[in-house]
Amino acid sequence: MTRWLLTAIISLMALPGLTPVANAAAEAKRVTVTGEMIDTWCYYSGVMGGREAVVGSAHHTCALWCSAGGIPVGLLTESGDVYLVLKLEGKGTGSVDETLLSVQSDKLTADGLLYERDGLKYLVVEKIVANEGLVNKNHEDFGVVPGFAIPKKTLKELAK
Amino acid sequence: MMRFVFSLMIAVALSPNAAIAQDKPSKAKSWNLTGQVKARFDAKVVDMLCEVSGGAACADKCGGGTQQLGVVRKSDGRLFPVSKNGQPIFSGAMADLLPYCNKDVEVDGLLAGEGDIKIYQVQLIREQGTKKWNKTSGFTKAWRKQFPDAGKKGPWFRNDPRIAKQLAADGWLGLGKEADVAYAKDEVE
Repeated sequence: MTRWLLTAIISLMALPGLTPVANAAAEAKRVTVTGEMIDTWCYYSGVMGGREAVVGSAHHTCALWCSAGGIPVGLLTESGDVYLVLKLEGKGTGSVDETLLSVQSDKLTADGLLYERDGLKYLVVEKIVANEGLVNKNHEDFGVVPGFAIPKKTLKELAK
Repeated sequence: MMRFVFSLMIAVALSPNAAIAQDKPSKAKSWNLTGQVKARFDAKVVDMLCEVSGGAACADKCGGGTQQLGVVRKSDGRLFPVSKNGQPIFSGAMADLLPYCNKDVEVDGLLAGEGDIKIYQVQLIREQGTKKWNKTSGFTKAWRKQFPDAGKKGPWFRNDPRIAKQLAADGWLGLGKEADVAYAKDEVE
């Protein structure tokens, strides 16, 4: 009985909110990551639909809008990990510059520093060592997402 | 019976801590997000790089808008990236959070994301000890201040010169004009 009570107390102490979670800042690890530069809000929140539709060429224009809007960007690897990019070649990603916008939806290989905290991966990209361009041509499957990304008038002009 | 009670306690203990998101009743509006949880809590606004690096890479005053910002929840020390403000216009929360850099605040909004990986959309914010909530709708004003000469017809993202430059260079699909034309022909037919 005493052992059961002790175990129960230890279990209760593990309840979130009752004790601090393991969230102390971690040491940086040097890493090389290959992945697509994505808009993390649409990817995580599902606000525009499923994850497979909010990446690649289908979502390219929206990715430009979101990164220009200051929404955090991330590198999505083939294994499905997302590395939230906090700095890109010396500049914080809160400031939207030409480099940040020019690599949206591109498949990049980046060298940098990895920090992990509360289940998320944070990356300081020191150098983009390779850029394969936009390789995920998923507009063939999904069209553009959102559907109004390209104005109707522009579509008609392009189709002439 | 005792084994059942014990198993139940273990299951509860292992539940994701993001579930305890709402310290107080939330007034946040639903956006029907994946894994959405309304979340009003006391927090500190932080420069995320400074926070995750343990103070090793901190910019003065959150970099004045250059660093991505997040909130650290007071009740458990958990860091959430703040990805979005309250406006439905592809806008981040920089303009709304920056005035509160390194300050203790109360926020109300939505946690979103599958499982225990969560990002935060802040809809309301106020400094601790104050009564008035502020809506997080500062993006448009900040954008207009940055681009006073940009067009005024339609939403900001149709007038942003940086976006226009990228679209001109790589097209709407990011694959060049030829791909845009082929797509448009399929769509218009």
